[in-house]
Amino acid sequence: MIKKNILIIFLFFILLISPFLFGIVKLSTKGEEEPKKISIILKTQSGDYWKNVRMGAEVAAKEFNVKVDFTASSGETDIDGQIALVKAAIERKADALILAPNDYNRLVSVTEQAISNEIPVLVIDSKLNTNKIISYITTDNVKAGEIAGKKLVSLCDVYTRIAIINYVEGSSNNREREKGLLSVISKYPQLNVVYMDYVAPDAKSASVLTKKLVLGDDKVNTIIALNYISSIGVAQAIDEIGLAGKVNIITFDNTPEEIEFLESGVIQATVTQSPFGMGYLAVKYAVLKLQNKKVPKYVDTGAVVIDGANMYKPGNQKILFPFTQ
Amino acid sequence: MNIKIKRFLKNPYNVAVNTFKVRGIQFIITISFTLITVLAMLFVGIVIYNKFSVSLEDNATLSTKQLVNQVNSNIEYYLKSTKEVSNLLDKNIYLNPHIPNSKLKDQMNVIQNIRGDIASLAVFSDSGELIIESSASVLKDKVNIIDQDWFKSALKKSDNLKFSLPHVQNLFNGKHDWVVSLSRVIYFYKGNERVRGVLLVDMNYSTIGQLCQNLSIGKRGYIYIVDSDNNIIYHPEQQLINIGLKSENREDYLGSYLENSDEGKRLVTIKTVNYTNWKVVAVAYMSEILDFKKTSTNFIGWILFVCIILIIFIFGFISAKISHPIKQLEESMKMVEEGDFDIYIDVKGEDEVERLSTAFNLMISKVRYLMAQIVIEQEAKKNSELNALQAQINPHFLYNTLDSIVWMAENEKNDGVITMVTALAKLFRISISRGKNIITVREEMEHAKNYLIIQKIRYKNKFKFEIIMQKEVLEYKTLKLILQPLIENSIYHGIEYMVDEGFIKISASITNGKLLYEICDNGLGIDPEKLKHLLEYRGKDNTGSGVGVKNVHERIQLSYGTEFGLEIQSEIEEGTTIKIWLPLTKE
Repeated sequence: MIKKNILIIFLFFILLISPFLFGIVKLSTKGEEEPKKISIILKTQSGDYWKNVRMGAEVAAKEFNVKVDFTASSGETDIDGQIALVKAAIERKADALILAPNDYNRLVSVTEQAISNEIPVLVIDSKLNTNKIISYITTDNVKAGEIAGKKLVSLCDVYTRIAIINYVEGSSNNREREKGLLSVISKYPQLNVVYMDYVAPDAKSASVLTKKLVLGDDKVNTIIALNYISSIGVAQAIDEIGLAGKVNIITFDNTPEEIEFLESGVIQATVTQSPFGMGYLAVKYAVLKLQNKKVPKYVDTGAVVIDGANMYKPGNQKILFPFTQ
Repeated sequence: MNIKIKRFLKNPYNVAVNTFKVRGIQFIITISFTLITVLAMLFVGIVIYNKFSVSLEDNATLSTKQLVNQVNSNIEYYLKSTKEVSNLLDKNIYLNPHIPNSKLKDQMNVIQNIRGDIASLAVFSDSGELIIESSASVLKDKVNIIDQDWFKSALKKSDNLKFSLPHVQNLFNGKHDWVVSLSRVIYFYKGNERVRGVLLVDMNYSTIGQLCQNLSIGKRGYIYIVDSDNNIIYHPEQQLINIGLKSENREDYLGSYLENSDEGKRLVTIKTVNYTNWKVVAVAYMSEILDFKKTSTNFIGWILFVCIILIIFIFGFISAKISHPIKQLEESMKMVEEGDFDIYIDVKGEDEVERLSTAFNLMISKVRYLMAQIVIEQEAKKNSELNALQAQINPHFLYNTLDSIVWMAENEKNDGVITMVTALAKLFRISISRGKNIITVREEMEHAKNYLIIQKIRYKNKFKFEIIMQKEVLEYKTLKLILQPLIENSIYHGIEYMVDEGFIKISASITNGKLLYEICDNGLGIDPEKLKHLLEYRGKDNTGSGVGVKNVHERIQLSYGTEFGLEIQSEIEEGTTIKIWLPLTKE
């Protein structure tokens, strides 16, 4: 009787622990986590600049085994749209958020809301007016402005009449570029800035404005465009009115259109950023942050000025032309 | 059951110690079997694991090498086919050196149409003038051909095909592709003049990238290509390298080696591509291999752990099954130890245990029987000793003897009185002999002699007697009062009713290493029927004639064993001889 009992207890015990055993075996063989989800909110869907940001982010996502999803507002002035996108990312419970803010101030509260929901936020391209951001991965825009300014100075003579065409007032990077630029120009009192203002965020308005500035009373002969969209507008206008080479243009970024204009001598020099590096580093630091590793607060992705003469130097080729297969 | 559980909850340690009695069979079996099995399993596990991990690493190295070889030969094949395009065009220009001509143009177009990886095909004169190009390409207005690297290097090394470093091809409108240029010197006729020129074949990265990326080395491993000066030709993350976010350092080494990087140990395998100065480099992350090793280590570890637990339970169970009946036996034996012989064990277990319990039961029953025997024998001994005591102070004998003395005294037979009283005194002294049971043969014979003296006087010389003793026998010890009852028997039943004069002979000797008394008389003899039963073990019936004889026989056998005792020969009207066998002893 006792023996029977022991046997029954024994069998019962085996039955009891066997699912546990299988569990252990499964655990020990599986051991892989779900990849983390990182939401990336860009300023706008279109444009080669943002395409490069995305490519960089995708390369990093593949390298660090995370999932990235991209959303973008309809344009760089669509601040409300971007606020809605941040809210959506919070609702999706993204593991981390990478944001290219359209506005320096108005995106602060929704971003802080994301941070209070324990979503680390990294900012690319332009700054945001809060100190709760994990990391800023941007071009040092003041420095970029200074670089542009120095290039400008080298192109100038006493008859220079300068127009500075800025873009989307709320975004910090444009203001910082202007600041850097002016800090250089102000050292040369003979330089004559005849126009400085923000223009609507499309190439057309920049083009119209350029024609007015060059052909009108301002007699502008040097134009600095602080953003690639207005840069294209300016270059197109000068090309159309046949003043290529006579009006100096300094632009920002390296879209294919700008490169064509640079090669054909319409644009004298362009200040390139590293959108690919921005996208890559943003995802990389987001991953490091999720792994609780130390992440630098400010990352400068660098800015280089390239002109028509040196654009095919091996080093500059690599910066100007994204590698494609 | 409930009590057990309660106890267990109260003091698990004690219960555990009680259940697995340290040094008990169950404990020893469980522990030793478990230890042996676990050691064996560990040994086998470790051996297999070592073998496994070594072969895993070997396999990883081998498969990386094979992969590199494969990529290498693919790239070799690809470059060769691109060279063949260049060779083909070169040959055609050689055969038909007046260019541009439509045949060459057609051929270039066909080639570019089928080979999607060829970005551009063109021929330039050595002054940098475009001679012919495939129709897909339109030369830009302001291009400086002479300063291009591929142009310069082709003219410098006229005998060789030359692959350039990756660069952006900026010759043609609307194209800014990253390409590798293959350039060579050709000769053609410009009008009637034979001039030198450069044939350009540009490959884009569609095929090279595919060749390198189609084969994956683990999750993070990758393949890239460098030239002899360690300039990157192709890298899956070329853009990162271009903008300086990534770099590759490797040793100038062909073959495989392990290196430590920020991302852990990596296995780097390098192989040169034939006909070029390119090298294919494969990078595999050891951590991925080791990851697999780690999971398998975990797996083996868990399996071992689970098996050990199972084994402990199984052996615990088996040992309990073995030791349980033994414990039962042990408990029964304890009861026997405490004096309880009235038990019967009904242990069912393995064959051995069952036989053991049967044997135990048998043993116990035998012990029980023997103990009963001892009790009976002890009782008999006590009885016979009592009888002997009774015999030695037979009151009738004393009255009769005293009567005879009185009678002799009245008739003033002083000599007779003295003899009688002296003999009686001696008789009693020996009879009593300070309560000792064992006396010397000499004393026993003296006792018999005195008895005979008294009886002879009492029976008025109705018989004669003779006593013979070997000298050697005198100092040996003997039970006392053996002879007297037998002599008494001889006189009362043998001689008393004889018509003729009786004769009794007593002797003591050493025969066959034993002490032998002999009592012979010429009396009436004993009826054979009676003789048969005379020495038989008796029950309670101790009356009648022959009681004395039996008593003596029993006493001897109780004291010395059954090989000793009486031996009676008797014939009617002839007499009786009683032999008394005793051991020779001086104690």
